[in-house]
Formats: sequence, C-alpha cells, structure tokens
Amino acid sequence: MIPSKKRKLDSETDDYISDCIKAVLPDDLSKDTPLVEVYVDEVSDRRNISKAVVAINSAFPVQELLHLKRVRNGKLLLFPKSVCELSEVHQFLMKKGFDTSLLTNNVEVALVAKLPPKLKNQYEKVNKLWPCNFHSNKYLERLVTNNLFDENEMQLHKICMKIAIDVAQYAGNKYNSKNVGAIVFDPKLKSVVAIGYDCTNKNPCKHATMVAIDNVAVTQNGGAWDKREEVIVNGLNTSGLPKDFEFLKDKYAKTISFGCRLSDHTDNKCRVSEESSYLCTNYYAYVTHEPCVMCAMALVHSRISRVFFGVKSRIGGLCTLCKTQTIKDLNHHYEVFCGLLEQECINL
Amino acid sequence: MQSSSNNVVNCNELSESEKHYMEIAFTYAQDALRNQEVPVGCIFVYNNEIVAKGRNTVNETRNATRHAEMNCIDDVIAYCEDRNIVSKEVFENVSVYVTVEPCIMCAAALYNLKIKQILFGCRNDRFGGQTVFDVANVLNPVTDVKGGYRADEAMALLKEFYKGTNPSAPPNKVKIKNI
Repeated sequence: MIPSKKRKLDSETDDYISDCIKAVLPDDLSKDTPLVEVYVDEVSDRRNISKAVVAINSAFPVQELLHLKRVRNGKLLLFPKSVCELSEVHQFLMKKGFDTSLLTNNVEVALVAKLPPKLKNQYEKVNKLWPCNFHSNKYLERLVTNNLFDENEMQLHKICMKIAIDVAQYAGNKYNSKNVGAIVFDPKLKSVVAIGYDCTNKNPCKHATMVAIDNVAVTQNGGAWDKREEVIVNGLNTSGLPKDFEFLKDKYAKTISFGCRLSDHTDNKCRVSEESSYLCTNYYAYVTHEPCVMCAMALVHSRISRVFFGVKSRIGGLCTLCKTQTIKDLNHHYEVFCGLLEQECINL
Repeated sequence: MQSSSNNVVNCNELSESEKHYMEIAFTYAQDALRNQEVPVGCIFVYNNEIVAKGRNTVNETRNATRHAEMNCIDDVIAYCEDRNIVSKEVFENVSVYVTVEPCIMCAAALYNLKIKQILFGCRNDRFGGQTVFDVANVLNPVTDVKGGYRADEAMALLKEFYKGTNPSAPPNKVKIKNI
C-alpha cells in the first residue's frame, strides 16, 4: 500500500517492496461463489412467462436459491438437479400441481450460483451463468482489495508491529528464548494494553500470544501466570506490561499510550460500567509471527477483534495450516491481516 | 461433525483404573460447577501416578484460555521442575482423562506435546477439537483419542452450568432468556 523507501528486492524486479498488508480472507470471499446444477425448461409461449413464474414459485419455491431470478431468456429455473432424474422432471412438476403445458419439455441442466455472491467480481461471474440478486458491501470490497486502512491508520499499525518486534528482540536476548513478540492494543485509546513474548523454554504453552492474553487478564484483576499490582500511569492501568519493558514507553510515548482503561473491579463480582473491558473484546493483537492453532483458538476464546501478524509460520493457524478465525460453527470470529513489516519480522 | 463415530469408547473396553481416573476428573468438574466455572474436570496420569489435576478457572483468572487441560499442563511443568526431570518425556507418556472433549485450543496444545492418549466424556459441540473442527487433520498427532464415557453425566453438568448466566459477562452481553 505505502511504498517503503528503505528496502529493495534483491533480484527479480526493481520495484520497492511495498509494506502491503493483506487481509486473510475466509473462503467465501477469496474463492468464486460455489455453483449448483439445476433443471431449466423453456416456456412454450413467451406471453406466458409471468404466469409460469408465478406458477413455479407457488408449486416449487426453492428456499436455498432465492438469490436467483426465476427466468432467463424465456427459460424457467425449475429446481435443483438433486431432486430427481431428468426424465422425471415433468412428472415431478405435475405432482406438485404445476401446469406443464406452459413448458416445451426440453429440460436442460444449468449451472447457477449456489449461494448469494458477496463481492462484485463474484457477482459478475455468476450473473453471466444465471441472473442473480446482489447487494454490494463497501466494507468487504475494501477488505478484499486491501484498501481498508488509510495512511495514518497504516502508520499506527506499523508502530504497533514495531513494538511487537522490539518486545521479541528484547525478550529473546534477555531470556534466551525465541524472538517472537506480541502486543494487545486498544484501538480506541491508541494504547498498548499488554505485551507477551515467547517463554517456551520454561513452558511449551507459553507462546507470546498466550502470554499477552494472560497479561490482558492481569489488567482485569486476573491472570494465571503473572500477578502484578495495578499501576496507574497517566490515568491508565499499566499492569499488563512487565516492568522490564518500561523502555518502550520512553521510545514510543510520543505517538501512543501504554495501559488500559481503568475499570470497576472494586466489586469483584459485578461489573457495573459498560465501558469496562471484558477479555480482549474490541482489542487488536499484533504478533511478529503467525499464531499457531492453539494461539489462534485462544484468541477466539478471548474475543479479540483483529489480529495482525508479520510473517507466516509453518505451524500457523490463521492461514498456513487452517483459518481458525473463519470456522463457521464458532461463536466468535476475528479479522486477520498478514505481512505487516514482514521483512523485519523475518529478520528476527 | 467429523470423526464422531469412529472413536467412541465402549465402556467394557475401559479398565477399572481408567474408570477410577475418570471418576476423579468428574470430581473436579463438580468442583468447577460449585465455583461458578464451566464444569470441566481433568487429570493427567503418568506411570500410574496422577501428576496433574484441575478444572476450568476462566472466571477466576479472567483469562478465557484457562481450561482444565491448560491448568494441568502447568501442573506437569511444576511437577517436573520439582523433580528436576525433563517435561517432554513426561508429556509423551501422559494419559489425559477429561470430562469434556478438549476444545480446538486444548487439542492443539495436547497434540503439540505429543500426549500419549486422551479419554474424554461428552462431546464439545461449541468448541470441540474434533466435533467443531478436527485439529488432527492439520496437526497429524500421535495422540490416541477416545470419547463417550459417561457422556450423559458430563453433558448434564454443562447444562446445569448454562442454566445460570456467566457471572463474568458484561451486563450488555448477558443474554435474556425466554422462559
């Protein structure tokens, strides 16, 4: 999106590497609309088309294909091919009370959109096959074309990832662990709520993301791994940030804040304020490396709203092995963007 | 639902000690319910010794990842540190007894640790690491997984919990139930 002045590709081309972040899309946005076979037949007298449409709609309404027009070039869409054999189509229609004399009995199979198309380019493809209803969604169009963020927003995303990179480097050196860093960010306050770094040399489940999630819990008077007293700095609770990482505040304080909104924890059992935070709701996570399946699902449980990562991982659960965030049957889904400061993350 | 029928355990296949371990896991699930946590109980057994026992502590820790299995993993780490032994070897010989099918996160964690086997009670229709999304398909684990033992009891505990409301949910997220 925004070309970087610093780095060039080694070979191939003289183009600048763009600091492009890409949305990791669910299949229904990244792939063509799935198709399904249906039976169609010609209306014998074109003057009867509207009559035939009304008749077929009452005899055989197809709930799952309501996004399709019922007629095209004098041909009537009857029903999905899965219903019966081609030779039995008219018999079937008669049983349903449809007047088959309206049709020529030249039943054919046609391919049509199985589901309503979500994007303009999907719509254009399936609409050629069979006319289709479509409601354009501006947000989705911007998401798939990677035009969701303006320059200022991109700048902020980069700063957040830079902090995650600093965390990865500092912790990696200090604790002799893998250089993986994560931060949880409140986009409303423009503030770093919690950080996490890899501690797998102590505990195989202490991935940077898991540590960051637990540090968010610390800000809410919880936490399983680390307990820290609430420290209030500039009206924000900074207990999600281990003391070691004070240097980040000095380095980035000009552009963003550190800490989370103070919430009503005085009465532990009851959250009075609607503003008070609940898990990672409305927060973003920035992680240097693609989170694994465990961490990806941990972020689902934590209700994170967006995840940004730099470089893909062999064990990644957001796009490499699977897209955990798009599993339909789960109760929460989040958006994922990859490639943010990718080269810097690769260099870690 | 995937692979739901091919790993259902037959009660007669279980040894008395396996049934005993599952009974202990159930006591932790009941303890969770008494403490207003999602009633899931779990124990880890290594060389016929219970090396970890736990339950869900999500509300207590305000961390949605603190499932019974994750708490047990931390217990094993502490167990190994105390005895100065390598946790990797222990995990690879652990049998997990858990009242509910591990969720996607826990399944991934247990598979990554190369846990020897998992025996669970009822399926997890909301988050199950087999039922909702089969983690084994992407992680190719060595772990042997069986489920279905005392499933009705395990499910009854969950239903009992979900009859109440989640005490940690913010007021605007609490669902109003139609009675």
